[in-house]
Amino acid sequence: MTSPFELLGVPALFALDETELEKRHRDLSRALHPDRYAGRSPGERREALSRAISVNEAFRRLRDPISRAEALLAQLGRELTETNQPKPAPALLMQIMEEREALSLARRAGDRGRVERIASQASGRAEEAAERMADAFSEDPIPVERVLELLGELRYLRRLKEEAGVALDEL
Amino acid sequence: MLLDIFDPKAAPRAVGIDLGTTNSIIAYVRDGAPAALTTCDGAPLLPSVVHYAKSGAVLVGRAAKAQLTREPERTVASVKRFMGRDAHDPETARLGALRFAVPANDEEARSVRFDVGRPKAITPVEVSAEILKSLKQSAVDQLRGVGGVVITVPAYFDDAQRQATKDAGRLAGLEVLRLLNEPTAAALAYGLEQKQNGLFAVYDLGGGTFDVTILLLEDGVFQVKASGGDSALGGDDMDRAIAEGLLEQMAAGSQPPPEAVALALSAARELKHALTEAPEASIELPAKGGANVVAKLSRAQLDALILPLLERTGKACRRALRDAGVEANALDGVILVGGSTRVLRVQSYVAELFGKPPRCELDPELVVAYGAALQADLLTRDDGEVLLLDVLPLSLGIETMGGGVDKILPRNTTIPTGARATFTTYADNQTGFELHVVQGERELAADCRSLARFSLRGIPPMPAGMARLEVELSVDENNLLKVSARETTTGISQEIAVQPSYGLTDDDVERMLIEALDFGEEDLERRRLVETRVEGERLVLATNKGLSVDADLLSTAERAAVDDALGRLKSSIESAASASPIQAAIDRLDHATHEWAGRRMNRAVAQAIAGKSLNDIEKTVEHAAGVDAHVARHRGEPA
Repeated sequence: MTSPFELLGVPALFALDETELEKRHRDLSRALHPDRYAGRSPGERREALSRAISVNEAFRRLRDPISRAEALLAQLGRELTETNQPKPAPALLMQIMEEREALSLARRAGDRGRVERIASQASGRAEEAAERMADAFSEDPIPVERVLELLGELRYLRRLKEEAGVALDEL
Repeated sequence: MLLDIFDPKAAPRAVGIDLGTTNSIIAYVRDGAPAALTTCDGAPLLPSVVHYAKSGAVLVGRAAKAQLTREPERTVASVKRFMGRDAHDPETARLGALRFAVPANDEEARSVRFDVGRPKAITPVEVSAEILKSLKQSAVDQLRGVGGVVITVPAYFDDAQRQATKDAGRLAGLEVLRLLNEPTAAALAYGLEQKQNGLFAVYDLGGGTFDVTILLLEDGVFQVKASGGDSALGGDDMDRAIAEGLLEQMAAGSQPPPEAVALALSAARELKHALTEAPEASIELPAKGGANVVAKLSRAQLDALILPLLERTGKACRRALRDAGVEANALDGVILVGGSTRVLRVQSYVAELFGKPPRCELDPELVVAYGAALQADLLTRDDGEVLLLDVLPLSLGIETMGGGVDKILPRNTTIPTGARATFTTYADNQTGFELHVVQGERELAADCRSLARFSLRGIPPMPAGMARLEVELSVDENNLLKVSARETTTGISQEIAVQPSYGLTDDDVERMLIEALDFGEEDLERRRLVETRVEGERLVLATNKGLSVDADLLSTAERAAVDDALGRLKSSIESAASASPIQAAIDRLDHATHEWAGRRMNRAVAQAIAGKSLNDIEKTVEHAAGVDAHVARHRGEPA
């Protein structure tokens, strides 16, 4: 299977230039979006649709730091499946439990401001973790274990952000 | 006044239709600018009301609206709120004057049906098709014909609602080129008018639906970042809130007759409209016992009545901003769309919500149709300057063991999109799979919208986890879902038929088409011939255009095959008396151009990414340097 980096024609790096990635996606969409093939033959329309789907799928994977890291790991031969997921460090586990507790307290108390703070802290920390991830991927050789640990952290922070989002929908 | 002069040989024009809850509009592009056609009512707005008269006649528009209070049970208004909904939908239990038919079986229960005093109950798709037919007639009268149509739908419409809209188009004898999201259509109309790049929010409060869309406009690409909304929230709910008070004043009792409900709803609308101009309004209504009452409403009272509805829109807006990852103050503008944004409190609420005064330079009731017309024009012109990139409004998932949902495609994914998921058996010797595709954000499948179910039987006995089922979901540019599934372990991969949970089947639509035509199958065959001929002509044009730019991608033998297939198609278009020979010639040309089409796509991609073809890209340092140079060029730095 073609890697998402190849599909979008961008270097296989973690520290991708987001503006450039978006521009590349726009350019490819201009060439492949089904709307550009509205008057063409049925076969051509199907082909354009399937290529546009692949490009959008690759774009979705590369835009998200978690799936971008997973795609890079897959290139290193470390494909992650349901059975070999990285385990979070004990210190992180403790923190996860505390923050979950704080979120559910704020949620029950109907404290919108507090939930928003938890969400924005999670965003800030996810950005920091992504920077550390970029550093790890720039080392040679790539410290796979550290990458896996950071991946666990990013996943946790995303889940926390999602849960805070659900809480905000309800408040 | 100058009349448009048509080239009699020119292909009929593609048009845009805003099939609204309250009003519908048809528009086209004239000299590069969108313009609304005059409907049968002599105005651009056609009330989306259909009356089924005792005589058997079907009235649409103002004439039908006039029957709303006289024969409410034979008159369907706001049909859009019932599109894609089943007979047991909560929407059927709300305040209204319609009578619903009790479904005879499960099959019938997949769509709500109105009892309008005809031998057969009518589905929302058929009612919508009547509105579309009337609009189509306006285009035939004023533009000589219709060459395909873009129909707008609320961004928050789910798959069943979209499919129902497409079916209505088909039933009206229209070729639906595209379903376009209403806020995106509005943004297109604004964007092409103002030629301004930036990040915008579109707040679209119509008669029955609410949408919010955050989108980025850059270099002609309209990229939707996030969409949200409520497909059952709009001006109708304001009317209901007002009407409830009016019914009390009319002493209509707890089970008011349909006539009283229709009267109260229409009075509510009048009061609401009057309050845009004046701080207070009143209307005279008949009360029980024969005396009249004068009902009064002030702006302050209206504001209080609609605040809970506005707060629901506020919640959807905040979530859309969060999904898009932007703060309200980062927006370059907020665009108001939909007739309900004429209510003053709505405008001030939006200003408070986004921290800036909203823009409404273009008529909020026409702007969606304008956008649809522009998109129809873009689709037929194919110059590639402008492109709309929309998103999936609601997550797609599959029900898991225990009633949860495994989200396969999250909301706000750019479309078209697709994903594969593999499922395994959970018990030893399990011989079948039941799969349930749902749409929505709730954690339990039962709380989400059911889209399709399918089952796979006859798996040979084997230990749990051994049998594998691969499910593929794909969503096209219209946000329409296709599901396919294959069982891969046994080596025999079989395609599985998917049963949609709501709406009409293809057979239903086919049957309705035949019933709707005077001479049934004969007429249908004639219609097919016309449609296939149009498709064939379009394909001839597109192939010739392709040959004029990319003929070098064909070998001599391939070129001969293409020319031969093209010649056969042209002669079959001229001589064929039925659709099938033309269709066969289309398929032949499709086959002859298949590989060439792939090469042309490769070339388009290569041009898009500056001289690199998709397959040649290597993961080398040289390539990385090449991309860096590319980045530098775009920043205006020396490479």
